[in-house]
Formats: sequence, structure tokens, C-alpha cells
Amino acid sequence: MDKLVIAVLGRDRPGILAAASRVLVEQNCNIEDVSQTILQALFGALFVVSVADGTDPEELRARLLSGVRDFNLEVYVSPYSGGGQANAIAGLPYVVTALGPDRHGLVAAIAAVLAGGAINITNLKAVFKGGDDPRDNIMIFEVDVPAGSDLRVLRARLQEVAHSLHLEINLQHRAIFERMNRI
Amino acid sequence: MLSEREIISTLEMLKYENLDLRTVTIGINLADCVSDDLGRFIAAITNRINQQAGRLVETCERISGKYGIPVVNKRIAISPIAVVGAPFNAAQLVEVARALDVAAATVGVDFIGGFSALVEKGMAAGDRALLAAIPEALAVTGRLCASVNVASTRAGVNMDAVLQLGQTIKEAAERTRAADGVGAAKLVVFANIPQDIPFMAGAYLGIGEPDTVINVGVSGPGVVKRAIERALADEPGIDLGRISEVIKQTAAKVTRAGELIGREVAAALGVPFGVVDLSLAPTPNRGDSVGEIFQALGLRAIGAPGSTAALALLNDAVKKGGAFASSHVGGLSGAFIPVSEDQAIAEAAASGELTLDKLEALTSVCSVGLDMVPLPGDTSAATLAAIIADEMAIGVVNRKTTAARLIPVPGKRAGDSVQFGGLLGAAIIVPVRGGAADNRFVRYGGRIPAPTQSLNN
Repeated sequence: MDKLVIAVLGRDRPGILAAASRVLVEQNCNIEDVSQTILQALFGALFVVSVADGTDPEELRARLLSGVRDFNLEVYVSPYSGGGQANAIAGLPYVVTALGPDRHGLVAAIAAVLAGGAINITNLKAVFKGGDDPRDNIMIFEVDVPAGSDLRVLRARLQEVAHSLHLEINLQHRAIFERMNRI
Repeated sequence: MLSEREIISTLEMLKYENLDLRTVTIGINLADCVSDDLGRFIAAITNRINQQAGRLVETCERISGKYGIPVVNKRIAISPIAVVGAPFNAAQLVEVARALDVAAATVGVDFIGGFSALVEKGMAAGDRALLAAIPEALAVTGRLCASVNVASTRAGVNMDAVLQLGQTIKEAAERTRAADGVGAAKLVVFANIPQDIPFMAGAYLGIGEPDTVINVGVSGPGVVKRAIERALADEPGIDLGRISEVIKQTAAKVTRAGELIGREVAAALGVPFGVVDLSLAPTPNRGDSVGEIFQALGLRAIGAPGSTAALALLNDAVKKGGAFASSHVGGLSGAFIPVSEDQAIAEAAASGELTLDKLEALTSVCSVGLDMVPLPGDTSAATLAAIIADEMAIGVVNRKTTAARLIPVPGKRAGDSVQFGGLLGAAIIVPVRGGAADNRFVRYGGRIPAPTQSLNN
């Protein structure tokens, strides 16, 4: 079985997923993994599907475009050879949170520090409600810190960024959030 | 993947609602340090404390950083000195006190508790020496805390000890006159003292405890207050059953944070984990107050009619939340109402809304007792003993822990202000009706018999 990755992007409204998945059923695609999200008015979904050997990605894309034409979506289809798991090094699960006003270059600056420490970002979420209350403007990076990393160095670098962008940045082990909120 | 709600709710508690781990307390058994040679005894206990607690502070700091939750105090609780120091006289026990103070400073902890005696049924030689040593021991040390258990549901109330402690408290205050009698703030008198309290001044390592153990004290009055305020804003028509549920859920979250840190510190030090003491322990900071919870619940101030019912609800919900969240909840676990350590309680006492009598009523449903209550300096030893006796009776009959930490402030009168500093806070001195008078009742001595509640199996 070959695998394909499919991305679907467009303005959110009811029925997008139904239309897209109906085409996948008709084309004998088996959905192995899917993630969908909504950002403001935008719908985005990412599928990994297994298909019969020799399936043409371009042809599947054309059928998907035709099946979802009422929704005016962007569709991307490409062969996938990434295997079942991410190839990142397993690390210690930490959460970086940045609280404070929305600043130009905020994500880039924090991501650069993380990349410098070979730290993989596994999930990123921004909650910007605007205004001056730092609680209404939070960036959440879930990260894997490689075992053996010097957390003091990482913390110091994050504090430099925090200082230059007038943010409060915290680095906390993920377990504190899990233990306090989950049974 | 974590939800943003989970992350934001935890962050808000830590950043804006003063959630912290109030104390990580290492219990250290000194029983096998026993000697009748004072020098040998002091060397042995000093070594033991250095060995067992030497890495406590750095370990707490590291784990505190890992989870982003402050560990405010690191403390030591030791075997009761009246037992392990029984061969010594009062002057020698003052030397032991000095050595404990030095050992505590050497390992960098805030307090060391266990200058303690258990005398609910009578006194032995070591107990008598310890009681005689307490005033000077507390005057010449900074970090040492003393406690004496004078009553229990099984034994009744040892009124001879109660009367003597009235005098001990007076002397402890007098010897620290220049600091508003702060010596008395480091001495607590108990009924039904738990063996695993991590909080001061009552922490000691019980006789039934292991060689070494980590107990943690979680706080969080600000978190509970904000949870109540949010629920009131979000849920029109909310009733007290639902408010209790909100407190319970909040207490459970706080307990789980404490257990996470406590277990990790214990594992890092290679010692067993004991209990989480989930107590709403206030500090003098705004937003970190048990008194403010009463205001959030719709009372003008703590002390107003309805306060005892409100505290009963609060204490019960905190205990239930803690018991759900951890299998090993111990210590005091509930709501503290220390007058000088809590700004809103101190203000209620200063305005007259909260009287000594109402405080006593509140202690029948709170987790401890009359705590950090500054009294006029001319309050007689007999009156202090009588106040203690009342407090002990509440604990004995209700099978609960009660305690009295009373400070008769030398040279000051009701309405004067006192400053104990730091976490011990500040307050206006609370009046005592007929406080300077004698009290015949407490002079009869003997033991008030144990109540019928003691006859269960």
C-alpha cells in the first residue's frame, strides 16, 4: 500500500469534511490519521491515507477538487514516506508559555531559541484576545527537550527573549498541567 | 496534547492567585542519637540533620524550577526533644536548642520544629525539663519551634500542663519583649496533635513515623477565593452546594500539584513520601488570605454572623477535595485562621468584627485553632491557661485537632499594634474580658477526664 498526504484548506462552513471524506471513500482511500483545526474563519485538515499501489496523486487531487468544488477549497496531495512515527528524538515534555502583548517576531524569537537547543515543538497554540491584560495574550509551545539538555541555559536564553520583547516566559514540565487538571 | 484551558487555568493559579507549595518538610528521627552525654548527643543530632537535610534546599529549588511552582519554605521536623533528650535538665536542653538552631541554619531551612513534648496524660522528667527550657530556648534561637500536646480525645485534658503553659507562654513573650513577644509565636499548645504536620510551629516527627519522611504543605487561599468569584460571576443562581463543589474541585487540583512535587523531592532524596497537608495557609499578602474568602462568600468580614457556617463549609470542602486527590492526606488539612498572618482576619479583629469569643467558635470547625492571636501584655497566666483549656475542650470533645498560639505582648494593651515581621505578620491586639484577673477553675489541677467519645474501639 502506498501512502499519500492530503491537505485541505478554505473558509470554514458545515459539510467540508463530509464532502472530502466521501471522495476518499469513493477512491478507496483508508484514512490512517487526520487532524483538523479551525483558525478564526479558516478550516484546515491534514490526512494521511493509505491507497492502492500506483494511485496517481494528481488524479486524486482532481477528484477531491471536483468533490468539494462548492466549498472553494485549496487541496494538496503528495506521496508520503515518513513512516508511522515522527523522527524527532524522544525528549522530556515541557511547556513554554509566553504571556504579554502581541509583539512582532514573538514566535520567531522563541522558536529560534528552541531550535538552537535542538528542541522539537510538538504543538503550538496562540490565544490572542488583544488588550493589555497579559492573560488574554498567551502563546503555548509544547516541546520535547532532549535528555541531557541544560535547562538553566535554556531558561536563561528564554529570559533574554522575554526581556527584549517585554514578555513573561515560563518553562515548565508538562506533568504539572496534567496532574492538576486530569484524574 | 494539553488543552489551552488546562494550561491557562494552571498558569493563572501560579501567576495571579498565589498558588505555591508553602512548605516541604523533612521529618528526621533522632531516636538512635540518644545519649546521656550532652556533647555526644549534640554531635549526633547535628550530624544526622546535616546528613538527612543537607540536600533538601537545593533539591526543592531544582524541582520547583522544573514545574514552575514556588516552594516557599523548606523545613525540618524532628523527634520530640522531650523524649530523645530526656536525660537532660532545662539548661542542657537550651544548649540542644542552640545546636538545633545552628544545624537548621547550616542546611539553610527556615524553621526546625520538634522542641516538643506530649503530656496529655502526665509529665515525665524529660517533659518537665523541656517545658522549663522553652522560654529561654525560644529567646536564644531564631528558627526553632516548640509544641506541647496537652490533651487528646483518648486522654482528656492535662490541666496541670495547661496551667504551667499559661506561665510558659508569659515567660516566652517576656524574654522576647523587644520583638513584641515573638517567642510565644513559636510555641503552640495542642489537643490531638497529628504526627505528620509539615506546618510550623506545630511540626514534629511522631513516634510512629519512619527514619526520614517528606511531608508537604500546600496552600492556596487565593486560588479558592478566585474560584468562588468566578463561579459567582459565571453561574447566576448558584447555591451553597454548588459553591462547595467548586471549592472541592479547586482543592483537589492544588493537592495534586503538592503531591507531584512532594513525591519527586522524596524520590530525589531517597526517602519515603508521607502526606500532603492541604491547608489554606494565608500570608499577610493581599490575595493570599483566608479572610478574603469569607468576603467572597458574601459576609461583611470574617467574624460576622454566618462566619462559623461559612468556615464549616469551606473546611469540609477543602478536606473532601484533598481526600479525593490523594490517598495520603494528613497533617492539619483545612483552613487556618491565624489572626496576624492574614491581613483580612487582622483587619476584622482590629475593627471589632472578629472577637476572641467568635474566634473560639470558629475553631470548632476550622482545621487548627486560636492561631497567632496577640493579647494584652497584662493577660494573666491563669487567663491564658483558661483560654487554652477552652480550646483543648473543643478538640477533645469533637475528636479534632485544636491548638492555641497566643502572644501576650509585653507592655502593650488592647488596640495597640504589633509587628512580628515576615510571614508572622502584624495585627492590633485583641481584648480579653477580665484578662488580668485570676481564674480559680484552672488552679484545681488534675486531668479533665476523657469524654465518652474515647470509649470507641
